[in-house]
Amino acid sequence: MRKIFLILILITGYVVKAQYAGYAPLTDVAKFKTDFANATQKTATIKSNFVQEKELSMLAEKIVSKGMFWFKKNNMVRMEYTQPFKYLMILNNDKVYVKDAQKETKVSAGSNKLFRQINDIMIDCMQGTTLNNADFKTRIFENKTTYLVELVPVVKGLKELLKHINVVVDKKDYSVNSIEMLELSGDNTVIRFVNKELNANIQDALFTIK
Amino acid sequence: MQIFRMRYLLLNSCLILLGSCTTLYKNLQPANGNVSDLQQFRPQFSVALYNTTVDVLDNHLSGLLLIKKMPDSSIRMVFSNEMGFKFFDFEFASTGEFKVYSIIKKMNKKAVIKTLRKDFELILMNQLDAATFKIRKDENFKYYTFPQQKGYYHYITNLAGDHLVRMERASNRKQVVEVVMENYINHIPDTIGVNHNKFHFTIGLKRIER
Repeated sequence: MRKIFLILILITGYVVKAQYAGYAPLTDVAKFKTDFANATQKTATIKSNFVQEKELSMLAEKIVSKGMFWFKKNNMVRMEYTQPFKYLMILNNDKVYVKDAQKETKVSAGSNKLFRQINDIMIDCMQGTTLNNADFKTRIFENKTTYLVELVPVVKGLKELLKHINVVVDKKDYSVNSIEMLELSGDNTVIRFVNKELNANIQDALFTIK
Repeated sequence: MQIFRMRYLLLNSCLILLGSCTTLYKNLQPANGNVSDLQQFRPQFSVALYNTTVDVLDNHLSGLLLIKKMPDSSIRMVFSNEMGFKFFDFEFASTGEFKVYSIIKKMNKKAVIKTLRKDFELILMNQLDAATFKIRKDENFKYYTFPQQKGYYHYITNLAGDHLVRMERASNRKQVVEVVMENYINHIPDTIGVNHNKFHFTIGLKRIER
């Protein structure tokens, strides 16, 4: 019996390792949760550049876009794509503002379920409340410098869109290094945050939805 | 008396309208030309990325449309929003077959897929059957007409045949969709506009330099 148990552990360990190269399952999840919550509590704002890569596996194509990201407590996010196209999205509590090449749109995140879920993911990642989101089942892994939080959607809507979301958190300051969304088709989108500035002075006006 | 006059006026305007519908393509005169004349306008999509806006009734969508020619000569079209969420992934085989790899639930309706398929077929110019085609003209334009299972695809050029003015999907009498492709760079149009006449449905594509 012990032998079978050991073999099972080895197989599971191998599968996990194969899934996320260089990462091992986190043993003290409770400690991580506390540390993550404590650290993000001290973060009032985040200002960062970002690079987004959408990989279309069957087409062997990658679409790379870049821009600026701002976050301010509570519940305010501004994402401004600048290359190779212009696109602005502001999340301010329950409201979403989008400006694309042609039109400005204001929606209430509450009125659009998918928008609300995307809104929640983004805000949760920044506020450190990801682990409390009931829309996902969570597993946590670690390597030397980062934690990998795997979020598997368990609710309708998201479940049909995404296999899972991986959030990579920096061990140094518990800030988010990247958010990776894996689709059921095998395609994925990674948003990498670079040149992060924590607790920089950010005006509320950046998040105003008129 | 007034009611009678009103009815008469209404009847007259209906007849005028009907008359204009029936004569839209009826008064065209035979002209000289070949299917091969259109080859110069056929987009040579190796790979192209377009900033895309779609307006359907009261809904507005924006995102990126990637068009890529695959090694088997089929054309793949993937439309996703700016953040990477995929709306649809279509394949147009060189044999004329069509495949839906994925489409979001909200768009997964037979009529929507059929409309998009026909609009893009018109743009790809991959349904140009030389055996059934007709060429006609009026005072200003040449009409290259290709009968389809239902309706017609019209490619309309200037009389010299060196400028593609517009493309149309039409029934026997009426224009259903009008498409323009402009500013070809290396045989790929920089701007594409699709406008449906039966209901409010427009697609705008502007090529992005990567």
